[in-house]
Amino acid sequence: MNYKLLHIFRNTPFGRETFFQSLYFCKMINAYPVVYIPKSDKFLMYFSNDAVQVDLDHSYLTTPATAKSHAEELFNEMGVKPMFYEPKNFTASSLPDISTNIDYLCCPRSVSDLSSKIGLGHIGPKVRRIIKHATFPILITSPVFKPWKSISVFFGGSKNALTALKLGLKIAMSSGLFLDIYTLLEKDEVYYRDLIKKEGLDAPVSQLSKQWHFYKKSNFDTMLYDVPHNSLIVLGAYGHGIIKDLLLGSKMEQIQSTVTNNLLITGPYCTVSL
Amino acid sequence: MSTIKNGYKILYQKLFHLDDRLLLIIAGSIAGICSGLAAVALRLSLESVLEWLHPFRHYGWAFIFPAIGALLSSLYLEKIAREGAGHGVPEVIYSVSRYGGLLRFRSSYSRLISSFLTIGSGGSAGPEAPVVMSGSAIGSSLAKFLGLNDRQRITLVGCGTAGAIASIFNAPIAGLVFSIEVILGEWKFVNIIPIAIAAVAGAQVSQAIIPEQVLFFHQPFNVGFPDIMASLCLALVTAMISVLFTKTLRQTGKLAKKAPFPLWVRAVIGGCIVGITGMFMPVVLAEGYHFIQSMISGTFSMGIFITFVAIFAKIFATSMTLGWGGSGGIFAPCLLIGSLTGIVFHKALFFLFPTIGCASEGAYALLGMTGIISGVMQAPLTGIFLIVEITGGYETILPLIVVSSISSTMSHYIEPASFYFKELIERGQFLRPGTDARILSDLNISELIQTEFIKVSENMVFRKFIEILKTSKQNFYPVIEDETGDYKGVIQISAIRKYALDPGMYDMIFLNQIMDTNVITASLENDLQEVLDMMDIDNMESIPVVENDRFIGMISKTRILDLYRRELIMQTSVQ
Repeated sequence: MNYKLLHIFRNTPFGRETFFQSLYFCKMINAYPVVYIPKSDKFLMYFSNDAVQVDLDHSYLTTPATAKSHAEELFNEMGVKPMFYEPKNFTASSLPDISTNIDYLCCPRSVSDLSSKIGLGHIGPKVRRIIKHATFPILITSPVFKPWKSISVFFGGSKNALTALKLGLKIAMSSGLFLDIYTLLEKDEVYYRDLIKKEGLDAPVSQLSKQWHFYKKSNFDTMLYDVPHNSLIVLGAYGHGIIKDLLLGSKMEQIQSTVTNNLLITGPYCTVSL
Repeated sequence: MSTIKNGYKILYQKLFHLDDRLLLIIAGSIAGICSGLAAVALRLSLESVLEWLHPFRHYGWAFIFPAIGALLSSLYLEKIAREGAGHGVPEVIYSVSRYGGLLRFRSSYSRLISSFLTIGSGGSAGPEAPVVMSGSAIGSSLAKFLGLNDRQRITLVGCGTAGAIASIFNAPIAGLVFSIEVILGEWKFVNIIPIAIAAVAGAQVSQAIIPEQVLFFHQPFNVGFPDIMASLCLALVTAMISVLFTKTLRQTGKLAKKAPFPLWVRAVIGGCIVGITGMFMPVVLAEGYHFIQSMISGTFSMGIFITFVAIFAKIFATSMTLGWGGSGGIFAPCLLIGSLTGIVFHKALFFLFPTIGCASEGAYALLGMTGIISGVMQAPLTGIFLIVEITGGYETILPLIVVSSISSTMSHYIEPASFYFKELIERGQFLRPGTDARILSDLNISELIQTEFIKVSENMVFRKFIEILKTSKQNFYPVIEDETGDYKGVIQISAIRKYALDPGMYDMIFLNQIMDTNVITASLENDLQEVLDMMDIDNMESIPVVENDRFIGMISKTRILDLYRRELIMQTSVQ
């Protein structure tokens, strides 16, 4: 595999934790990390139908003189070849365009709000918009470096959940770890099994998954507690549409604000092939 | 829920998938109306604040007004809106040429607020470029909301621009022409109709809300043959002034960036200097529409020397405002500098030839405006139509054409890039539709890569390689390291002929002994132009693409040509 993960480097102890997480993720799936060290407090990402300006909090610009050497040290510590990204295009002189031609992007839960950097908080609006428009999965790291030893896929039956399941299987293949599937029953079990059969995923699921856990709809919190603390959670976002999200609340937001695990999120435009 | 969803789907399909042109006309008129409203809002708020501050202007401390305005404007842009200063037109052109007109929603209001603060306080700038930015962002956001494709989005950006210009000047044709000539850069049938309708919608919004406030009143002019001859000389003068204005604006901006102060301090310094200049020469303050009207109507009372000095004072004040952190555009300053130039030229003409039978000062103010607009923007049609439309002075059309064409040609000769395009050209990002650079930038490098290649091991014995050669049609063989799978080099058939013709060597050499490790490689991050430049250096027909030490594939000139032709046909076709 030759997948590329883009990491926006933050030259702080918290940034070090998230960077370790990126490096670990790359080692596990045989991807290679590329680091962007921001020189201004904002950048633009152009997707097919939106331009997302990411306003970074000021901690991203902490001691710029040491940022590169710190990043190199961390690369070396994990035995990964240092690679850095330099933006080529600029919408304005202080507004670089960051390439979206990547396979994964590592984001903290929020990039703009310093106050939520340690606690779980909410997913920042910019990260949400990136998830919504990105064609690649977003890795939202745990607040401290936490190697994951298993993979958990949250599968609710939507199109995005199917993408997440494919991604989970793909990561299971490349990392050699088994995956667990977690489903909150909105329909009966047979429906979900038929769904993956229809998508031709039944064979890889039976081969790579350890267990498929089904929970009653009301047992959402129990399900979250049952997920191992050291598991990479793979889930799809925006599976239920904006109206349902507004009325019932976003499952992604509920999950991310409850569990401290690393999250790998696929949005509606994310494409994954096995 | 499902009923609502189905209803929405039916509505969407019936309304928006009926016909592409109909969709663009409907969406374009909405963009025109919205951008027209934005332009009217800015114009009315500017008039109110300028009127409110007017009684205080004669006080000595009033020089601080532009500084306060620039300070607030820069803080707003930097800390709240988090945008760069300046007028934003190059940003719109850049987005149209590179990203299918994708603009941020915040741009639809941020420049309006910042330019209101700058110009309202007396900063020397115009409100037109901010409303262009705003209108374009409205068009882009509308396209995003409707889920339109790149081509349709670009048309809506053009609609927003046209609506904004049409509304602020009450000049729909000028809006249409500016949008196509400056922003989109291509005259396409599919664009013209929606943009024209958007321009009319924008102008109608302006007329409906402020019917009594015509920007400039029409004055009858008697234009004769001597005026046409004189306009030849005026065109040369306006070309010189245009180049001077463009260069001063750019140099001042560069100088400001070198100053060791934060943006807000620079804005205060620039604002104070503008304020002090304005104490002695009020003509330099704000957008200056009032002075332009007095010059057109022949009631401008300043003498030739003061008027001459005012030209340079306005150039200086505008450069200090925009270059040092204020927000606004150069449209209105161009009009003012142009009318001042026209007045000076007229006065000089009568001083040298007292008996000459020329038209009045007002006509020359119009000609001067056209000359500067055409020279600075290098957009002759915009210059002509704008002046004709906003003044209703159709009798001056012949000298207007003369001045506009000569001024834009001369300016282009001295300074090949217009003020709007210069920065983009310097960054290599001025990509007009149908041009070589644009086609190359639109080709995705990943779709050019041919990945079906047989890779060979660096430890492979040459005999085994000969066996592969017998069944393969490849001319290039990437050589890979066994353990890591890393790319090590390439074997070109043309380079190994001497070994291939000597069977005695077959078991004696390994591929790592004969592979070429000095071949330039491209990566997925390279632009196609860079890839072509690399191929030209070594006169290569194909180039390996390597990412993270892994061989991805090859790019050949034949493949590039195929896709280039396809893209060219797509960009230049009627539909």
